[in-house]
Amino acid sequence: MNSLSTSEKAFRLLNGIVCLYKPAGVHLSGCRHSLLLKLTQELNLCGVRSPENRVVISGDTTKELNVKVESSYADNVLVVGPRYQTQDIKCIWTTHLGKRVSGVCVIGLNKGTKMARNLQNNYPLRTYHLHGQLGIMTKNMYIDGQVVEKGRFDFVKRENVDKLMSTIQASNQKKMFELANVDTQTQTAYDLATKGLIRPASTKNPLIYGIKCISLDLPNFIIEVNVINEYESYLLSLVHEIGLKLRCSATCTAIRCIRYSSFTIQQALLMKHWNLQYVLENMRECNSSYKQMSQLPSFITEQSYFESNQKLTGIQ
Amino acid sequence: MSSKLSSRLFNLIKKTSCALCSKRYVGVNVKPENVDPFMAPYSESPKDQQRLYVWGMAEHGALGDLKIRSRERQIQFIYRPVRLRFSYSHKIKDLACGYGFTVYAVESNQYKLFGCGLNTDSQIGYHDPRKGYPLGLILATVPIQLPLKEPNTKIKAVAAGRAHTLVLTNTDGVYALGSNCYGQCGRKIIENEDFSKLRNVNNITLDDGISKIICGQDHSFFITKTGKVYSCGWGADGQTGLGHYNNESQPTIVEGDIKGENIVKVVSSADCVLALNDQGEVFGWGNSEYGQLLLDSDKYQVNIPRKLPLSKGIGKITDIGATGSACIALNDEGVVFVWGFGILGKGPEMNQSREPTPIPSILFGKNQYNPETRVKSVYCSVFHMAAITSDGNLYTWGKNKWGQLGLGHTKDQYFPLQVSVGAAVKRVSCGVDHMVALCIPYQ
Repeated sequence: MNSLSTSEKAFRLLNGIVCLYKPAGVHLSGCRHSLLLKLTQELNLCGVRSPENRVVISGDTTKELNVKVESSYADNVLVVGPRYQTQDIKCIWTTHLGKRVSGVCVIGLNKGTKMARNLQNNYPLRTYHLHGQLGIMTKNMYIDGQVVEKGRFDFVKRENVDKLMSTIQASNQKKMFELANVDTQTQTAYDLATKGLIRPASTKNPLIYGIKCISLDLPNFIIEVNVINEYESYLLSLVHEIGLKLRCSATCTAIRCIRYSSFTIQQALLMKHWNLQYVLENMRECNSSYKQMSQLPSFITEQSYFESNQKLTGIQ
Repeated sequence: MSSKLSSRLFNLIKKTSCALCSKRYVGVNVKPENVDPFMAPYSESPKDQQRLYVWGMAEHGALGDLKIRSRERQIQFIYRPVRLRFSYSHKIKDLACGYGFTVYAVESNQYKLFGCGLNTDSQIGYHDPRKGYPLGLILATVPIQLPLKEPNTKIKAVAAGRAHTLVLTNTDGVYALGSNCYGQCGRKIIENEDFSKLRNVNNITLDDGISKIICGQDHSFFITKTGKVYSCGWGADGQTGLGHYNNESQPTIVEGDIKGENIVKVVSSADCVLALNDQGEVFGWGNSEYGQLLLDSDKYQVNIPRKLPLSKGIGKITDIGATGSACIALNDEGVVFVWGFGILGKGPEMNQSREPTPIPSILFGKNQYNPETRVKSVYCSVFHMAAITSDGNLYTWGKNKWGQLGLGHTKDQYFPLQVSVGAAVKRVSCGVDHMVALCIPYQ
């Protein structure tokens, strides 16, 4: 990719989705800004077009005119700013990750914004690793908050945690059919189930598809959760609630998104690699996996999404 | 005498007071400063510890020692998996669920066999706390006495039918407990025998040595080490496969199409029997009222083993199961096929199939996020089916009158749905109205 001769060629390639690793403690908008800033800086360094010249015709109109080509200040980099600026690149994210959440974050650039929107319409499944600490409770349910309560935790055993996990999963399995408005006894429920995961009808209610404790090293624990329609405070309160159900208190120490749809954490670009070369490489990879996904029969394209929305509004 | 007692008492008091005093002094000296006495450590549970989960009908005690409180509340069903502490004190080697009772084979030097539940035919041994009045219902997991010839004998497997239990040992062959009204225990049928006060256990040995035992409803099968099948018991539907419809009280070799084949598995829950050989071919005999045996003619009973005409597209079969009215088979690609009548697991509208049809593997959790998930083994009871996937997830479907599916309600389930067991399921045993799952913690 180093052989790119001009920035224009590179800019034309910047169409698609990229999979980034968002660090914790930074807002997503901040990430977006630093990504775009870095991209534009590198594009500007790649060699931009020279400023357009201006033709100056001067002199007495009755006589022969003086025609001169001068450099134009209206197109000078020193006057109008750098050639590529952050607002030149269209950029949207798929799912909003909160400030404390780190992990996979899929972002659409330029023509990829449409792809990002399509991905979001498909109700993709997200997998999170929730790191928690038992025996401590804070005001904002995160480890950086003010400590409200401290207590004993060493009576918690693996069995207790697993039992709680299975209870949460069972109640969510029930909720799954409720949110999809089907009765498990009917043929519709079977037809829905054979199409894949039963997605909720609205985008408001969080729904857990699978929850599992993957490590319990007291007082720390890690929970893997497959979830849809989640938001940051929901995940925080989930850890908090797990603590209460275990008869002690728990607070969240880290939230990490390890998978978004089929984009995994292995693909995700670290912040130090957010530059033109890596982004373009990553984009090629992500675009091809998006293409694979979009060929699946269950994939909801833009058109079918609008059609189903129209049907819904027609019914209402 | 009295002086002796008093001196003993005095000694005891002296000892205890000394102990108390010394403890106090020692405690002050030895106690490390940084350990909070209220934070004394609890023991940890080992990672490879077996876990036992039970659910279903609880009234007859087949679920074992549930908490006393639940007994006071007279809980009839437990429709969600409940963990039993029994597996913590005993290493379970095999388990079997019969009609209202459960039997566990345990690795130990003392008691090697435990049971709980219905005991109307002494199928879990003779237990009489009041002499001469044996218990017909045992609500706790109790040890079962076996007349073992050597103390080092190990129990390899157990099987349970409607009212009889088979126990396979490594030295003495098979012990049969319980009802023998059709000859299912392999001994001579005695008219009007009272099984509730049965004390003796019948020992069955075969020349080839027995490697596997299977209980049907009222019939038994023994697979020898060379892959031959012997059967005895009720034969009214031809389920013994001996060429007649009479009861058989002596284990007799089953011939027909399975003659010369190396049979690795035989399954039967009611009166239809399926057998699997090492080539992945399926044979069947017994009741075929609902088309379980894929016969061309309208014959309802087959008393001689027949090879099932499965199409080549199905491939090599690795696991089989038979409910009362339907059959299930698993091929080496992890695809589950069902045929027969009843709840097949393909929705409420499809209740009958004359030929094997696959259940979509998406119902067993295989999707674009988990493409590697596949079904590993299938299990059947009279009214429901179960499957375990490679992730250790258990899926059940079928009739759910007593909550035996473990799904949290008592409504029938028409397609496979995951049971929320809080561990990786290794194997299950399906009883007619309850289920037991042996699990290990998630790694």
